[in-house]
Amino acid sequence: MISLLVVLWLVPLGGALAAWAFGPQLGRAAGWLASALAFVSFACAVVLFPQASNATGVGQTLVTWIPGYTFGLRLDALSLLWTLVITGVGGLIHVYSIGYMWTDRAAARFFAYLNFFLFAMLTLVLSDNIVGLLIGWGLVGLASYFLIGFWFERPAAVAASRKAFVINVFGDTGIMFAVFALYAATGSISYADIFARAGTLPVGVLVAVCIGLFIGAAAKSAQVPLHTWLPDAMEGPTPVSALIHAATMVTAGVYLIARFAPLYNISPTAQTIVSTVGGITMVTGAILGIAQWDIKRILAYSTMSQIGYMIMGVGVGAYQAGVLHFFTHAFFKAQLFLGAGIVIHALGDEQDVRKMGGLARRMPFAFWAMLLGTLAIIGFPFFSGSYSKDAVIYGALEAGHPLLYAAGVLTAGITAFYMFRMIFVVFFGPDRTEVPDELLAIPPPARAAHAEAHAASHAPAWLMNAPVALLMIPTVAAGWLSIGGNASPWYRYFGTMFGTSENVAGPSLPIPEFASQLIVYAVVTVGVVIAYRRYGAPAAQSGAIERLRAEALGMPRALRRAFFVDDIIAAAIVRPARALGSAIVEIVDPKVIDAGVRDVAWLAGALGLVARALQNGLVRSYALTIVFGAACFLAYFAVLGAGR
Amino acid sequence: MPLDLANYVALSAVMFFIGVAGVVIRRNPLIVLMSIELMFNAANLALVAFSRAWVNNAGHIFVFLVVTVAAAEAAIGLAIVVAVFRRAKNVDLDEVAGMHG
Amino acid sequence: MILFYVLAILLIGSAIFTVTQKSPVYSIVGLLANFLTLAALYFTLDAEFLGVVQIVVYSGAILMLFVFVIALLSSGIGPFSEGPNRLPRVAGPAALTTFVAFGFLAFAVLHAPLALPPAHASVSTVGPVGTANVFGSVGDFGVALFTVQLLPFEVTAFILMVAVIGVVLLAGDAAPQRTRGAHERRAKSADREPIVKAGR
Repeated sequence: MISLLVVLWLVPLGGALAAWAFGPQLGRAAGWLASALAFVSFACAVVLFPQASNATGVGQTLVTWIPGYTFGLRLDALSLLWTLVITGVGGLIHVYSIGYMWTDRAAARFFAYLNFFLFAMLTLVLSDNIVGLLIGWGLVGLASYFLIGFWFERPAAVAASRKAFVINVFGDTGIMFAVFALYAATGSISYADIFARAGTLPVGVLVAVCIGLFIGAAAKSAQVPLHTWLPDAMEGPTPVSALIHAATMVTAGVYLIARFAPLYNISPTAQTIVSTVGGITMVTGAILGIAQWDIKRILAYSTMSQIGYMIMGVGVGAYQAGVLHFFTHAFFKAQLFLGAGIVIHALGDEQDVRKMGGLARRMPFAFWAMLLGTLAIIGFPFFSGSYSKDAVIYGALEAGHPLLYAAGVLTAGITAFYMFRMIFVVFFGPDRTEVPDELLAIPPPARAAHAEAHAASHAPAWLMNAPVALLMIPTVAAGWLSIGGNASPWYRYFGTMFGTSENVAGPSLPIPEFASQLIVYAVVTVGVVIAYRRYGAPAAQSGAIERLRAEALGMPRALRRAFFVDDIIAAAIVRPARALGSAIVEIVDPKVIDAGVRDVAWLAGALGLVARALQNGLVRSYALTIVFGAACFLAYFAVLGAGR
Repeated sequence: MPLDLANYVALSAVMFFIGVAGVVIRRNPLIVLMSIELMFNAANLALVAFSRAWVNNAGHIFVFLVVTVAAAEAAIGLAIVVAVFRRAKNVDLDEVAGMHG
Repeated sequence: MILFYVLAILLIGSAIFTVTQKSPVYSIVGLLANFLTLAALYFTLDAEFLGVVQIVVYSGAILMLFVFVIALLSSGIGPFSEGPNRLPRVAGPAALTTFVAFGFLAFAVLHAPLALPPAHASVSTVGPVGTANVFGSVGDFGVALFTVQLLPFEVTAFILMVAVIGVVLLAGDAAPQRTRGAHERRAKSADREPIVKAGR
């Protein structure tokens, strides 16, 4: 009797292999197969929900290799939540992709990769040991590489996928060393043993492990300074951006820190680092989001910022709050990306917001979808995002970090500003889709990147619209699970799984929770109003073309170059690495390796020359050789004594 | 009494290596064959000396055998020399280098 | 003792003379002297029979063989002509190697226990020259050759037979000379039988 948990885990792998192997035969059916299998996994998770929704959950040991080295799966409250999101939202995105990739000839390969990603992510969250975690971690990075570079004929996509993979590998070294250290220090790879022995770890090892794990999390979750791959990852198809770079893969870092809560709880230094980096990312992402003109890049920076919120939340010890924000963010970010995908698809692969405008009249469904998502992300009252964001921000205050609290409030205002900037520019005002590029100050190369227009899609509209419609419900309502504070279903679901953090210094300011919420709402309102006056008001819309052009030309260089982070990395790391590679190719390869091989060949030739001299056919020479041999014999027997 | 055996062995050795030098240095095939005969005789001398020292005539028998072999070898060697150099311009071992590699 | 040293010097001298002469005829003479000296040495070592064998077989038969071959190959009275030296400057290394080998042998000999007799007992006693059946005499040698050491005797016979066959094969039946006015005249082409009709 195969355990349902194993079925849950392996079904997407089967789908990936089938779609990969029988792609040409399956054709469009590959998409249906992949989606169905994703929902099969979702159904398994739902069936296991009653048993699994607690701290121990359902376990299944797969392989026992040596004592202290057993591989298995465990579906407990934390991994169950992630599994439901991965398979549920993932399944919806699969269906959406059937429509999005309707005319793409390589669609079967796409679905193979998507299912493979599901399998990889499930491996990551379902493992009950650090080695399985590491394996899933690497596989997820690989899946991301495949999917970002899916349209591999485009050099920009290839470069972006390579960049994402390299930065992820950088993080992988951090988490790898942390895993090695954990095994060396505790002698076991399973979470249960490690957490049981966590108290016996020396402080230095503990902090190093936590920091190593966080380096991996920072790369995977696009925290500063390892964030530069995320905006470039938008070169992939929009469903990929929705699934991987919004809802699931980038949240793997959050999962990691939440999973290792027992370790972080007793290591205040590491927690401070985590929450600080999360806070910095939060603010940076929001500021950079103001300066973007590509609709997907706006959403990418907003993702970066929101994950900063999550990281900050779990960094200060407010695990339930941080994970709640992951939960709500998965829905409304997927909603935003899929809606943006509908817009992009309808406009023939146009992604620049300057070339959109007034689309509320043309595409009301997409407009309402994106409006709902935007309201959720800024934390509009009663929308899902507000509950989670307020919980995170207040959690920072409760844990005694007034600076992070202020940063969170400020970021909420900036988020409101740039998200509504997007809404107003895209959906309001005059229709600018036919305005020539120069008038809007769009540089020519940016055009060519999107020059391949998708052929007009003949896909049934419901394929792309139904998932978006379905996502509207949790976008609005997902946060309602946490109403009621510690007695709410959300908090009771997790129970005492996360323990309490040592880093809690107690509330620094005596502000009750509802007062904090009012402060946040006020800041958000300010942001919306500023955006309205700049972009949404009738006065602004009349001169929209000139205003947008002026804004594009007047953008400060620091913002345009994303605070120069890419340039710094290029100068400090990429160029020396390239120089080293060139040096090896130009110097080591010909002079050392080739020369070595050549010298071996030369040696053979030289030996041959010597041998040839001996074989000259002259009797005298042969006689001399015989005498020489006899002399050697005599020497041996004379010196060492014969007859032994 | 000839039981200063080391003398005889030394003498035999000297004669032997004179023969060796002749084989290696000379180019006339006849001289080479003569040098080989020298080597045979040197061995014979050693055999006879030992035979006398241990009063055992097995050594004599062996000398008899060696003489026979030397005779046969000289005969065949000279036949080869005749066959090879009958119509050659120079009687020189360096001319018969057909076995070079 | 003095006899030994005199004979030794003669031996070595004649050997060097043999090896270093340009003309093979001189070398033959040197070789003859060497053989005779060696026979004398054998006599001093009580090996009468072997001494006589040495004179009769070596200087009597083998040397004559050499003389005949020299006569056959020489195109004149002078030294044999030699071609160009294909292996120059080898005398030095050759001499060195020989000397080194000799050195090792000498070293080994000087450190070897030579006085130990072998295990089996002697078969005859030493006596004055001329008496019957003493060590080294004909009778003693004959008895040993035909009883105890029969195998070498048979092997000797075999070797001699092989030598004779070999010599006959090698140096007899050389390619027959083309003589003028041959017994068999070359067949004229018109007399030949047409084997293949050339498709006329």
